[in-house]
Amino acid sequence: MSDHGAGPRSIANPEIDITDVFAFPSPEHPSHLVLVMNTYPFKEIEATRLFFSDAIDYRIRVHPVRVASTGPSAAFAVGEEERAFSFIFDVPQKSGDSLLQSGTCHGPAGKISVHVGDEAGAHSEGLHVFAGCRLDPFFIDQGFSGGIRLQRRIPEVRGVNSLEGQNVLSIAVEVEHSTLFGADAGPLVAVLAETATNGSLRARLDRVGRPEIKNFIMMDKASDAVNRDLDVRDLYSEEDGFKLRPDYLGAYRARLNANLAFYDNLDGKTDWPLDAKGTHPLTELLLADFLVVDMSKPFNEDGYLEIERAMLRGEPHRTCGGRWLNHDMVDSLLTFLINNGNGPRISDGVDGTAVPASRKFPYLSRPTPMPPKLEPFVGIPT
Amino acid sequence: MTRALSAARMIRTTNGTIAFANLAAQIDGLELHAASGRLTCRSWAELVDLLILRAHVLGRIGDYERTLALAELRLREAPAEGLSFLSLARAHGSLHLFKEALSDLDVAERLGIENAEVQAERAAVLQAVGRYDEALVLRREAVERRADFESIAGLAALHAERGETAEAESLFDESYVRFRGVSPFPLAQLEFQRGHMWWGAGHPLQARDWFDAAWRRLPAYAQAEGHLAEAEAELGDREGAIVRLRRLAGESDDPDYAAQLARILDEHGNAAEADRWRARAEKRYNELVSRHPAAFADHAAEFWSSAGRDPQRGVRLAKLNLEVRDTPRARTLLSRAIAACPAP
Repeated sequence: MSDHGAGPRSIANPEIDITDVFAFPSPEHPSHLVLVMNTYPFKEIEATRLFFSDAIDYRIRVHPVRVASTGPSAAFAVGEEERAFSFIFDVPQKSGDSLLQSGTCHGPAGKISVHVGDEAGAHSEGLHVFAGCRLDPFFIDQGFSGGIRLQRRIPEVRGVNSLEGQNVLSIAVEVEHSTLFGADAGPLVAVLAETATNGSLRARLDRVGRPEIKNFIMMDKASDAVNRDLDVRDLYSEEDGFKLRPDYLGAYRARLNANLAFYDNLDGKTDWPLDAKGTHPLTELLLADFLVVDMSKPFNEDGYLEIERAMLRGEPHRTCGGRWLNHDMVDSLLTFLINNGNGPRISDGVDGTAVPASRKFPYLSRPTPMPPKLEPFVGIPT
Repeated sequence: MTRALSAARMIRTTNGTIAFANLAAQIDGLELHAASGRLTCRSWAELVDLLILRAHVLGRIGDYERTLALAELRLREAPAEGLSFLSLARAHGSLHLFKEALSDLDVAERLGIENAEVQAERAAVLQAVGRYDEALVLRREAVERRADFESIAGLAALHAERGETAEAESLFDESYVRFRGVSPFPLAQLEFQRGHMWWGAGHPLQARDWFDAAWRRLPAYAQAEGHLAEAEAELGDREGAIVRLRRLAGESDDPDYAAQLARILDEHGNAAEADRWRARAEKRYNELVSRHPAAFADHAAEFWSSAGRDPQRGVRLAKLNLEVRDTPRARTLLSRAIAACPAP
């Protein structure tokens, strides 16, 4: 749930709200790329009562990518070709006492139908898809992360997973990598997810690449001297993550430069010196806001940001990169931003969920069972 | 079909069944957190807002009462939180306790709730009590601050309430352009308001079309369907209206549907069935007016001035309603109630 409520629009419309995106080589089938998109946060509720919207196109987009430059101006070059997995869901149909929902995944090789909640998912040539309610794999102590922004310092560690037991609506895709861009394509792919309207008027509603870009790095307005009263996240979410428009780039850059410097200074020393124009070394790299996976490397639980870190050092990367479901990205990101590895690991004290994700499709754990029925709340009949 | 109606229908929103299932799931999830003491202040406010939304759409009086009880509970638990007062203001406003709502908003503002949020709520209350000029200043400021769907729809609703149909229509159209989402709730409410405006302006055909649009977008929207039935009856489709109202009156705890049904059945010459629904509406209005006089004075006055056949009581309630909110609609209601009384 690293991107939940990332902007006023997502807060008001939880059905469009992408909470997380994950991408990694399959632990079972190394040549397969796994893509996961979670939506609809804070649903501690019976799984069968949650449905995907029939008015949304849930899309996971993949582009070929290569390392264009390394060192202080590290950057990716994104290829023009695109392969997308687009999920459209039907209106649920009554079946006995329950409602059943179906959907269709429109992928590069055609259409495949999927029944929401069917753990086995649906297979087609080189493709395996799942859609349904699952336990949220994300873990974080929001008291810690929020405390940084509110107290302007690194808070005491409590180690409480604020999201324990929450459910989300998940989409998982496992695809043979060579079927995406051909056997001769490079091993690196860039991944992001979007929700968009699927009526005759098309509009992108939410978009996520890397976790916590919008909430950790873009939300806080206090340090931004350029746009003190503007929540830039809705504008940012409307953008094509592979090709940001020039219109608001200045606003995004100002926000990132200010907030990345704020994180860097939390330990009282500077690990990311700004250039003469006040630009933070990570700003451009993070505005290339997608997960990058190297399919030539085996599955690695802790590949998150390793490719980017290696690029900044001017070294070849060693892992598959991407993002695995159980990786403690909060600690990794905070450490990266605050001391760039030149100090102790910065931890919120939460290192996992009570039920970690498995290494088998659909990878995400089953949702929290139906909670016990509430007693009449505060004596008021429900 | 008008161009505006065609444009509205082009905006696809989540199917009503899904939207309601997910709304209920949201409410249940938040209540679970609240019961276990793990709900944040902001989530408490969200819970109250979602309950008010469900109450409005389903026309469930019990939900409004429950919302007020929850907001009062939250205030006892967190009396220093501005959000507690903001939620209480919304709950009070939903039961037409407008003085209390304005007072809550003053406290919420003193306790640090963001100006824009308080002013949006204050504008709604000022509009409800007929202080249109003050509401207009706040609504315009909101649009100047950020011209988004919510602020423009708010300004449109104010013009609609004032009977300024041309200005309202233009703003309603503009708000559709600014809509970025798939939730059917805000658009259905907008379409309902648009229908209400045309109904008040004496254009039942346009009113029917917009009530119909709201109901089609959200088939569980009881208020929209109730008004749709009223417009259909006005346009001559009494049979269709009776079918709708029988179902609504049977399912809802709001006596308005039984009252409408009794009136139309009377006109239709079905006195026996009309008497049954009249008795049911009367019993429920008695309960509700004794518990929430401000909230039900207007509809109860309508009832006793027409199908309820107690015009003197209608006048008393219409006067009470006018004290609560001095709006053109309230003044018209009092005039109608007085006219319904037999000449001395």
